[in-house]
Amino acid sequence: MRKRIIYILLIIAPLLCVFASLFVGRYPLSLALVIKTLWGQIALVNYDIPDMYQTLVWDIRMPRAILGAMVGGCLAVSGASFQGLFRNPLVSSGILGVSSGAGFGAALAIILFHGNTSAVYIFAFAFALLAVLLSYLIGRVYNTTPTITLVLGGVVVSSIFSALISFAKYVADPYQQLPAIVFWLMGSLATARYHDILVAGVPMSIGIAGLLAIRWRVNVLSMGDREAHSLGVNLAVDKGIVIICASLATAGAVCVSGIIGWVGLVIPHICRMIVGNDNRVLIPASLSLGACFLVLVDNVGRIITGSEMPLGILTALIGGPFFVWLLKKTKGGGW
Amino acid sequence: MSILEVANASFSYERQSENIFEDISFKVGQGEIFCLLGPNGCGKSTLLDNILGINHLNEGDIRVMGKNTRTLKNGQIARYIAYVPQSHERTFPYQVIDIVKMGRAAYTGRFSSPSAEDKEIAKEALDLVGLRHLRHRPYTQLSGGEGQLVMIARALAQKTPVIVMDEPTAHLDFKHEMVVMETIVKLVKTTNLTVVMATHFPNHTFYLENNGIKTTVALMHNKHFLEVGNPTRVLNEHNMRTLYNVNTKLMTCPLDTSTELKQLVPVSTLRGLNKEEWNADV
Repeated sequence: MRKRIIYILLIIAPLLCVFASLFVGRYPLSLALVIKTLWGQIALVNYDIPDMYQTLVWDIRMPRAILGAMVGGCLAVSGASFQGLFRNPLVSSGILGVSSGAGFGAALAIILFHGNTSAVYIFAFAFALLAVLLSYLIGRVYNTTPTITLVLGGVVVSSIFSALISFAKYVADPYQQLPAIVFWLMGSLATARYHDILVAGVPMSIGIAGLLAIRWRVNVLSMGDREAHSLGVNLAVDKGIVIICASLATAGAVCVSGIIGWVGLVIPHICRMIVGNDNRVLIPASLSLGACFLVLVDNVGRIITGSEMPLGILTALIGGPFFVWLLKKTKGGGW
Repeated sequence: MSILEVANASFSYERQSENIFEDISFKVGQGEIFCLLGPNGCGKSTLLDNILGINHLNEGDIRVMGKNTRTLKNGQIARYIAYVPQSHERTFPYQVIDIVKMGRAAYTGRFSSPSAEDKEIAKEALDLVGLRHLRHRPYTQLSGGEGQLVMIARALAQKTPVIVMDEPTAHLDFKHEMVVMETIVKLVKTTNLTVVMATHFPNHTFYLENNGIKTTVALMHNKHFLEVGNPTRVLNEHNMRTLYNVNTKLMTCPLDTSTELKQLVPVSTLRGLNKEEWNADV
């Protein structure tokens, strides 16, 4: 019974957050107006709502909130899965170099194609996956990929791509390209439209679905290679599935949102304190809470300043104190 | 019929490098305990790894219930042989019951979770080691001895005819060493389990023998078995000197009317405390 309530909450919470965010922004909207707009769009009824509100609710705030929810969910779920796979609570979704790879891809596209949006997406996504592939190949010794060399591979690849990002900034045109690179690296959902959801939604959905499906195996993998092997796990296949899915989800998220730190590291820990460490519950909980968190933080960013505050800054500024509060309240939840 | 059979087994980590062990053969029957004894680094754990299918023999065969483990997939081996590690690094505070349920991985599809039946099996396994009351506790909060019993319960949940244990009483205190040994005896007697165990304590094998379990000891020395047999025959002062370079005394005293307690008591290393001989090879 308690389980069922938790699951229902996990599904409803992100929907509520998305709905709430339709009201938030520079133009306050009434409940009636928002509901009429939504119903008008869904049931194709004409309520004579001014075009501006129509656009604001349906074409700007709605896709932004949905994309925010998806990105937040992806980062948190990948982070939780990687923490289990690498048996290390300090690991985040970027451990295998996804974020720095994507960052370099985006910077490269901004320089080469003057910030053409599609080019940025494609380059960010491709380099994100390239980074993971390189980490995997570096970590592969003696025909197996022990966890420790995989992590080392990720560290090496991350630092190489970080250096390349710095190099890109160094050679970029300081008036147009450099600010664009810097803003991209700080993360934003401001430009989100439906086609972003459609394009990036494919890898994100595949990744999430895979991780949700294999989530109990993540428990077993977190016993370490030796024990997982003797428990009957095919390490190469199962590890491969987790890495591919988590990388697809993260790469899909990062290529449309830029680099948003913190979510992939700390949301899983907040969930560990609330629902425990069993990945069967932890991974869905991370999906839900990551989605809520990013949508809410994005709303705060729209309210507090006239111009948009980059997401990467706010996630840590808001999430940090919340994490400390929860740590004190739950006394660490078994750590 | 023997449950586990190792025949002419040789292994080295890489083709050209020196063998860790060579031409080792033994058989273990149902309800028996086979104890590997030998100094650190003699290859006990490597031999166990080969039995578990973590490493693969260069030469020879390992058969479990008549099936060659070379032809079995990992998930199949895990239905025949379970493993109790020497020390388990606890990372995430899973509940005890969740740890034991992981023993069902070999019976659970990649994309599914343990069923209600698996949960019952896990609870029964916890009953067998007497830890059912701790099942909802985070296993990171258990003592070393309780933690080791959880590992044994997980292996039991795997429902295998054979359990491989790598020094199951390492790092345990005086009492919990005894608790784990008693648990092993109880399990072998009640479930007719077969155990292959590496140990550093020769006296453990006397303990098993005294409790009426068919116990075989193999002394691992210079890549081969120095001697294989029951504890009373194999564990003597001469063999201890060869195996460990330690002088021992075999003490006996009557425990009750029918059994005699035997203990090998270490007296000194061969070089002893004599300072001049410290540099001499031991």
